[in-house]
Formats: sequence, structure tokens, C-alpha cells
Amino acid sequence: MNLVFLRRIITTSIGRKLIMAVTGLLLVGFVSFHLMSNLVLLNGQEAYNTYVEHLTGVPFLLFIELGLLSLFLTHILMGIYVRWEDYRNSPSGYKKRNWQGGRTIGSATMLYSAVTILIFLVYHIITFRLSDHSIGFYEMVTNAFRDPIFATIYVLGGLAMVLHLSHGVQSIFQTLGINHQKYTPFIKLGGWIIALTMAAFALLPLIFLFGLESHFMGMLH
Amino acid sequence: MSDIMKNFSVTINVWRQNSASDKGSMVSYPVNDVSPAMSFLEMLDVLNEDLIKKGDSPIVVESDCREGICGCCGLVIDGNTHGPDKNSTVCQLHMRRFKDGDVITVEPWRVKSFPVIKDLAVDRSAMENIMQAGGYVSVNTGAAPDANAVLINRADAEESMDAAACIGCGACITACPNGAAMLFTAAKISQLALLPQGHPERKERAINMVEAMDKEGFGNCTNEYECEAVCPKEIKVSNIARMNREFLIANFLSNK
Repeated sequence: MNLVFLRRIITTSIGRKLIMAVTGLLLVGFVSFHLMSNLVLLNGQEAYNTYVEHLTGVPFLLFIELGLLSLFLTHILMGIYVRWEDYRNSPSGYKKRNWQGGRTIGSATMLYSAVTILIFLVYHIITFRLSDHSIGFYEMVTNAFRDPIFATIYVLGGLAMVLHLSHGVQSIFQTLGINHQKYTPFIKLGGWIIALTMAAFALLPLIFLFGLESHFMGMLH
Repeated sequence: MSDIMKNFSVTINVWRQNSASDKGSMVSYPVNDVSPAMSFLEMLDVLNEDLIKKGDSPIVVESDCREGICGCCGLVIDGNTHGPDKNSTVCQLHMRRFKDGDVITVEPWRVKSFPVIKDLAVDRSAMENIMQAGGYVSVNTGAAPDANAVLINRADAEESMDAAACIGCGACITACPNGAAMLFTAAKISQLALLPQGHPERKERAINMVEAMDKEGFGNCTNEYECEAVCPKEIKVSNIARMNREFLIANFLSNK
């Protein structure tokens, strides 16, 4: 058995890019599903609790969660490694340097949005996944959202997602070798649409913080 | 003589460094009697003649064709790779882009894999090493083959030519926030991947050139596209996507 193709994926720059892109793509799929789940909150207590019970009742939940954890860890650890390597190799010592319009706000702040999301993620897992669920999922989530500090952290996490995906989504396609003048403008547009959709993560806590949830009741059926 | 052709004076704030091991620093020189018709490199020639007359050592700067096609000249001027003009090399920059009293910052390519030889000249052997790893086609000796023996469709020939326009100046690497050599390597892989003559060695080429690129210590690509923005030959980042494809196909779907 010749495993050189696996070694190349770990040791070459393009291989490592591929790992970032594939894990990134799967994570975009996960957060999209997560966002849909969050929106069930707007259908009220009964609908949400029933939904979450179904979701947490799936067989092999622990394995799914471990799979998800390894996906996050691979993306994060590879990201840190690649950044460290770039930091070593990047041109330095310029007295003057102007960017020429290739970079976007999203691409230039990937590291910062990533760190913000990571801090949010740790906070999110501690407060919702590892916490006491006895008062009911809906009650736990909405009580938290009505706390201004909690809501602020969630809004920041959501906005960091918008920024991260504004560069990340189209970057996945480029890395996978999918770039052509025929459709790349649509990929870039689609990337922005997916990124902006992530703003809903930031909107949900605000809706509950300001007590506006009754206006949305029954809208999503 | 019209006002627009009047000679003027500028101050050049330039990087001086004796050798790769020297620390180096910025030094200011006044340049008087600059003609707007001069190219930027001619202005440096005038300054150097002045320095030689004073017994100072001239500023070492690399240039060859001065027609924008050889890729020798490469400077960062006022923080802009190849100067302020788009799709242009330093030798095509003229002093009419500047005005009297300007202070112009001139720096070399600052890339970890391009050690400074002296002042503004850097050693770009790292790019040659990538080329030697696979940027060629093997041709058998003997009589030249018939020109029309291998048919190539027009669109592929044009696309290959677009990639082959790369002059190997290194601007893409200099402009990259990560110091990656992806656009250069991608152009060199693309120009041959698009032509039938490049196909026998296509798979080894993709793998060997990418591995050589990494070995030289260039950075990783994070798809910032600054390379495309500064390229004097307008090489597109779609070439990088092609290189990724070539590499992934060779790695996963071939015996290489």
C-alpha cells in the first residue's frame, strides 16, 4: 500500500489548504443546519422543546458529537499551524506598504474573526451543552438571551461568523480548484449570501432581548 | 519649454544594505534636475553617477531589458509593488508620475526566500529552483517535428499564452501577505498543462513543482488575491485554482 498521497496532504501547502477547505465546507454545512434549528425558537416553547428532544434522541449522538468535535479541532489546529508558518514566511520590514485591492475586510481579518468565533464557541459549549438542562431547553436558551451580557457575546459571535464566511465560502471553491470566469462571480455572490445569512445568529438573541418574539410566532411553519 | 517638461527635484529614501548578512537601513539622497521624461531607473542612474563622482558606492539595482518584458527590475516604491501604476513593471514607470519636492521611498522585494544581495538587488534563485523541478517539457533529439503535427485549439493556446506571459519577476510573492509563491508556480504549471506538449509530464510536474515551492520556504496561500492585483502581466488567480486541480488530481487519481 502506497500512502504517499496521504503524506502529501499533510506536508504540502496545497494539501493543508485542502484540509482547511474541506473541513470548512463541512462546518458551513453544520452551522447552516444549526441556524435552521435556532429558528425553531420562534415557533415557541412546545415546538422547540419537542424539536430538541427529537434531535438529542438520535442514535449514536455521542459519535456524531465526537465527529463534529474532530472537524472543529482539525480546522482550528490546521489554521493555527498554517498561520504560524505564514507568520514565519511573510515579507516583513517594509517601511511603507499599500494593499492593492486584492484583500477584503473579511480576508484581512480571518485570524481575528476566527479567534472571536473560537472564544464564542467555548463559551457557547460551556453555557448550553455542558450546562444543566433540567429547566427545559427553550427556557434555558431564552433566559440566557434575555441577559444583555450573554446576548452581546452571541451577537459578536454571529457577526464574526458573517465576516469569516464572507471570505471563507468563496475561498473553499478556489482551493478546490473551482474557479472560472463563467461562474466565479456567482460563487462570490453566493458566499456573501451565506455569510449574511449568518447574521440571523446575531438577530435571534436580540429578538428575545427586546421581547419581540411574539411578532414572529407562527411565521415559520 | 512648457511647464510640464520642466525639470524638478525629488528626495529618494532608499534601502542600503551591503550584503545578505548586513542589517541595512534607509538612506536619503536628494536628486536634482530630474526630467519628467526620464524613467524611474534612469533617475536612479543619474543618482548613481552623482554618488560615484562623490566617491560613494552606487545603489545596486537590477535591470535588463527596460521594456517591461524580462522581469529583472523589481522594486517597492512608496509601498507599491512595481510602483504606483497598474499592470506595469518598474522600468515602465516615468518621473512624470512624480512632482517637485516628492520624497520617494524605494525598497527591495522583502521575501524571506529572496535574500538581499546588495541594496535593492535580491537573489531570486528560489524561483529558478521551482522551475528546475518541472517547469519544462522533455524534447527528443532529432529532426524538428512538423509544425502542424499536433493540433491545439485556439482557446487553449490563448489561455496557455496568458499564463506564459509571466515574466517571473516575483511581484506576486512580494505582494502576498503570506509571502506565497502560488501565482508564479501556478502560471508555470498552467502554461504547460494547457498544451498537449506538456501532457506527458503533467502529473509529476504538478507534484514536483508544488513540493519544490514548499521546500524553498514560501508561505501558504490564503486566497487574498493581492498577487493578481500587482501582477504586471495580469496573471489571473484562476491559474492557482488550476494548479490546485492539477495537484489534487495527480495526487489522488494517478499512480504518482
